[in-house]
Amino acid sequence: MTEQDIIKMVNEVFADSFEIEKGKLKPEANIFNDLGLDSLDIVDLVVALQKKFGITIRSDERVRNIRTLGDIYQFILIIKKEIGK
Amino acid sequence: MRILKIALLNIIFYTLFITFTSIAIPFLGSLVVIFVLLFPKRLALRRLRRAISWYGAVIIRILPFPFVRLRVKDYSNNDVAGPYLFVCNHRAASDPFLLGVLPYECIQVANIWTFRLPVLGFVAKLAGYLSVREIPFEDFFKKTCGLLAEGVCIATFPEGTRSRDKSVGQFHGAIFRVALETKRPIVPICITGNESIPPVGSSILRPGLIKIHLLPAIIWEEYRDFSPFKLKNYVRDIIAKEVVLMDEGK
Repeated sequence: MTEQDIIKMVNEVFADSFEIEKGKLKPEANIFNDLGLDSLDIVDLVVALQKKFGITIRSDERVRNIRTLGDIYQFILIIKKEIGK
Repeated sequence: MRILKIALLNIIFYTLFITFTSIAIPFLGSLVVIFVLLFPKRLALRRLRRAISWYGAVIIRILPFPFVRLRVKDYSNNDVAGPYLFVCNHRAASDPFLLGVLPYECIQVANIWTFRLPVLGFVAKLAGYLSVREIPFEDFFKKTCGLLAEGVCIATFPEGTRSRDKSVGQFHGAIFRVALETKRPIVPICITGNESIPPVGSSILRPGLIKIHLLPAIIWEEYRDFSPFKLKNYVRDIIAKEVVLMDEGK
């Protein structure tokens, strides 16, 4: 899975689960201030990402450091690489 | 002239505020104690919550008059049965007092500083006001659902903090999850004109006109298929649009 695939799939999660316009889905977008997610939405986001990518990230401490959409792309990329090893 | 007006407003308001509070709170407190002793707890709580509304209405309508005037327009659909979930924008510390205009038994979901106010914080706690930052969502959900089932309205400021530039901030979705569960009507409330009554970081009131608009209730049939995220942004957009019109003079 390439980085572009991951970006596309993460954006699909935001579009499908939160109905956020694609124009707003930029790597620098802050998921709280710009996209409007709150702590409860993050739980929904984690569930949707787990389902989309077939991974388990719920108990991963690194989720707490995510602030931007770009952080999510990188996080998923790292997780995928870790699984691939 | 304006400085003189501000000085006069603050001298009069704070003198009356302290005097009124030191008389009203013990008086209303005594009435509530009598109610607790003579009537069921549910009735006593109802009286206490209404007493808080009256107190808030006096504080905001009468004490600062004529320097601060209040104009309330009710566009909400009175045919829709309550209890309601009131969702308000948040610009000033006077917002919780302004909700005294609501003619319903109501509790507010407040920030932690409200409960730290001398006397008023204790009364708020006694009336069942909820400190959203202090309780886990599961407890918040259970308590709010229980209150609505008892017929108590719930008022919230989902921005969580006061706006510093008149814009409507992002909403927290907790109360909208409660709405989806309980199917209760949501009434958006827009408050403008009080951003300087008092401004953030100050206790000095400025003269002005405070406008409160109660918008048409959003009923379950309208939002039943929404996700919590979509619902909170739907309500936020309605409030944000109205607030702009109000700032422009509506």
